[in-house]
Amino acid sequence: MSDVVTIKGLTKKYGRRTALADCTLDIPAGHVVGLVGPNGAGKSTLLQLTCGLLAPTEGAIEVLGAAPMSGSPRVGFVAQDTPVYAGLTVAEHLRLGAHLNPGWDATLADGRIAELGLDPRQRAGKLSGGQRAQLALTLAIAKRPELLLLDEPVAALDPLARREFLQGLMSYAAEHGTSVVMSSHLVADLERVCDYLIVLVASRVRVAGEVEELLGTHHRLSGARRDPGELGPGRDVIAESHTDVQSTLVVRSSAPIEDPSWSVDGLNLEDLVLAYMSEAGRSGRDRVLEKR
Amino acid sequence: MIWLTWRQFRVQAWVIAALVAAVVATLLVAAPGMFGLYRDTGLAACTGACESASVAFAKQVDNGGLFGAYLVGSAVLLLLPALIGVFWGAPLVARELESGTHRLVWNQTVSRGRWLTVKLAGIGAVAILASGLLSLVVTWFSVPIDRAGDFGRVTPLLFSSRGVVPMGYALLAFVGGLAIGMLTRRLVVAMALTLVFVVVTQLAAPFGFREHLVTPTSSSSAFEAGRIQSLWIDPENRITIQLESPAHSSWVLSNVTVGPDGKEYHGPVDGTKCGRAGGPDECHAWLAQQGLVSKIDYIPAEGFWALQWRELGVLLVTTGLLSAFCLWWIRRRVS
Repeated sequence: MSDVVTIKGLTKKYGRRTALADCTLDIPAGHVVGLVGPNGAGKSTLLQLTCGLLAPTEGAIEVLGAAPMSGSPRVGFVAQDTPVYAGLTVAEHLRLGAHLNPGWDATLADGRIAELGLDPRQRAGKLSGGQRAQLALTLAIAKRPELLLLDEPVAALDPLARREFLQGLMSYAAEHGTSVVMSSHLVADLERVCDYLIVLVASRVRVAGEVEELLGTHHRLSGARRDPGELGPGRDVIAESHTDVQSTLVVRSSAPIEDPSWSVDGLNLEDLVLAYMSEAGRSGRDRVLEKR
Repeated sequence: MIWLTWRQFRVQAWVIAALVAAVVATLLVAAPGMFGLYRDTGLAACTGACESASVAFAKQVDNGGLFGAYLVGSAVLLLLPALIGVFWGAPLVARELESGTHRLVWNQTVSRGRWLTVKLAGIGAVAILASGLLSLVVTWFSVPIDRAGDFGRVTPLLFSSRGVVPMGYALLAFVGGLAIGMLTRRLVVAMALTLVFVVVTQLAAPFGFREHLVTPTSSSSAFEAGRIQSLWIDPENRITIQLESPAHSSWVLSNVTVGPDGKEYHGPVDGTKCGRAGGPDECHAWLAQQGLVSKIDYIPAEGFWALQWRELGVLLVTTGLLSAFCLWWIRRRVS
């Protein structure tokens, strides 16, 4: 399958601050992609570069085979905090969508609003956070984009609204075969819905791949304390922790680990992401030590 | 896009439309009284200097609130660009940026350039319409007062609230407010700066470029005591004299009285003729013997329309450049 997003050496700076550094990444089509990383890692910047709201400082980005431009009919975007016009009613938002999008799917939009039980005459400023997010999502999907980008869509929602929102999103994506990229700083949000994962830490991509493959190639090893360098080739140590007598490692390896002196466990997605985040933290400390 | 522009703009539009409508209605109600007085005092039919008719008109125009209606009309017309800049222009982009809704609307299938073009053109047209209508009515209503008054409408005091330039000021204020809002990205800051911007543009014309738009008329005439407009003698016996402009209701740009050497005349005066010792007649007679010449540069009342159209041209060109800048900036620099 072809890639919906191709990124080469992408860098975005705001003045002197680097929000995204030398990012190279391909996102294949037909996935629900989770973009995960701590706050300030560059997730919003990456998504806004993808939808064309921002222009890159360096590097190249191609979305659906073309340079991204805001106002494209093929890309839908739900921005952080799901902005809507407080003074406009729900019905007026749908009218706005119908006026501004040639490919507007009125049946889909009206159906979703009815299904959610939103009152069309209600002003958007009076909606709850969850309802507002649903309205913003409705606007983004009723233009029938090929690629849907969501920037922390559930961050402000309570657990129930979160589940409903993600369910709505999933059923839409499955039904229409739309590629979805959504960011979150909580892995738990993404675990249920994503089949592809990108971990972005400190403005760099740490790992990207299909969730199943990631889970299959990452292992937690524990055993008597020793040097992780003994593991041999083709095995990358992602995270390590040692006590006086014991070592615990998170290792990436395509081949199974057969050394009987290790006890090998699988990892869940959250552990995997945390391992990559702590790896970033560790190498950060190393750099500081080297400087001294 | 047109629907959205109107939907987001309609509250501000109605508020200012209501204000303009109220002022226009007031002037229309007062108009029969105004033009009745114009006719009855003989000022309408009079040609030439018409001093007695003017005085009679000026005496009675205060009755029945006619002058009040005139002041309200002129004041609102002068204020309109500020209102349009602050409440129509400044929020247009700043409020979207502040509330983050630009991320919503620019991700519909509409380019930022088109989004801004429709807003600029649509609201700009309404600004022209509102200020044009108000200016038309105020200019028409003020004809008798402008004729009877001491100041012609070509003078800076009245020029900006007559004719076609109010449309230019309204449009410039709107686009200026929009640009300021886009650059500052903060609504309240943008509104305050827009107010300053509008005041500066309205002062820039009379104190800056307006007098260079047409060639002023230069007059040079021998000193006549009967035409003295002002005469100052300071404690060092320096005298400064200004004569009345040869053309009634004109805009005087410079007014000096020069001596035989061609330089501005400052005396010294003969203390026995002028000043405390001599009376005014004695002084005037003495001054008449000094070979003084009055040199006055002015823009005559007949230059009013030429000046109006040229100033409107300057304002429109400035507005056009500012609009082009806004369209460029929103595509390149705003996110």
